Amino acid sequence: MELDLLSAGFVSALFAIVLIDLVLAGDNALIIGLVARNLPKNTQRKVIFWGTFGAIAVRAVMATLVVYILDLPGFMLAGGLALVWIARKLLTPEEDAAANHAIKAPATSFAGALRTIVVADAVMGVDNVLAIGGAATGSILLIVLGLAISVPIIVWGSQLVIRLVDRFPSVVLLGGAVLAWTGYSMVVREPLLASWFAIHPSTKLVAVILFFSISLVPWYTARLSAETKPLVTLLPAVLVWLLGVEIAASVWKLKADYLLATRSGEYILEAVRWLGWLPLAAAWLWLRERLIQRRQPVARG
Amino acid sequence: MLLIRHSNRANNAVRTTSVGGELFVASVVICMIVASFGDAVDPALFGEAGFEFAIFDFGGEFSVLAMRHWHLLQLLLAGAVLGVGLAVLRVGAATVMAALRPADRRAQEKVPIRL
Repeated sequence: MELDLLSAGFVSALFAIVLIDLVLAGDNALIIGLVARNLPKNTQRKVIFWGTFGAIAVRAVMATLVVYILDLPGFMLAGGLALVWIARKLLTPEEDAAANHAIKAPATSFAGALRTIVVADAVMGVDNVLAIGGAATGSILLIVLGLAISVPIIVWGSQLVIRLVDRFPSVVLLGGAVLAWTGYSMVVREPLLASWFAIHPSTKLVAVILFFSISLVPWYTARLSAETKPLVTLLPAVLVWLLGVEIAASVWKLKADYLLATRSGEYILEAVRWLGWLPLAAAWLWLRERLIQRRQPVARG
Repeated sequence: MLLIRHSNRANNAVRTTSVGGELFVASVVICMIVASFGDAVDPALFGEAGFEFAIFDFGGEFSVLAMRHWHLLQLLLAGAVLGVGLAVLRVGAATVMAALRPADRRAQEKVPIRL
């Protein structure tokens, strides 16, 4: 889908790409520095140049590929679901974040350093490229602009990004919300599901709340006590149940509409639809409590 | 490692974001959900249901239909307006509640009376 240049849709997609670039930017300078720290000075300079070049080249190839991959049936759905996980991970605070980088040991040769930098950038950039691909809605121009924005961030902009998010941490929350929104948009655009969504429009309402309720969990549970946190799983559980019932009803051709129910079988079906999640939720909370109780003596020991 | 993890405040954004920032993002999320409701609802349904139903459900469906196919920038603006509106309401409500609260019995005689 090509958007008109400078239309509201185009500028909005570009803004989403910039935001995603900011919050999902990886620290390439740190990786290059860690990989090259034991190499001779002369080789270090070469590693920094070619490592940066390789990282940009890999990002460009991945961004081009993702446009074509997202056109294949099923990939939009997979990408959308992956974005929910990415948003959730983004909002979850990382303990000892500095120790969690991909590079465990410095390289001993130029080729080894280059390989490590390119592989690390490819691994770090997957989520970024996927999110940009989803936000660009198939527009090559937006992908190119996204690259033009992310490359300076890769090369020079790291300190600027850190200062910005340090001053305004709400940018990270907004980034998480935009990722969830992009994920939902990708799922409803999935060609395999488009006709099903057209027949079952109410599932879109359930899906959008489900996406936000899962993606933003770290945010809205941050100030809850340990006792009340498990109850938060009830909302996504109810929504998953409702979606599951809708899918089962369309697969087995069951009529599930309480306004049209006339026979006892239909009323039972409706009761299962609206209340069936209750025993499952109770079982989940009970199982969770048992697991915690079982773990406690081990932790003490 | 993500760049944002270098900043303790950004790494812990779920706890360090200001009340205003949280209100803004929460308002944007609400607008996103309402806009997607609008995308899911078929406007023809309202024609079938009739004007009476539409008036009865004024607050919900009319705003939902108005926000059909909104883009991110529109949602951000709407979120900002909603956030400011909620903040003003909160301040107003707090002022009214403070004015309605009776003075402490022990402090009644200490209330300054201007002659």
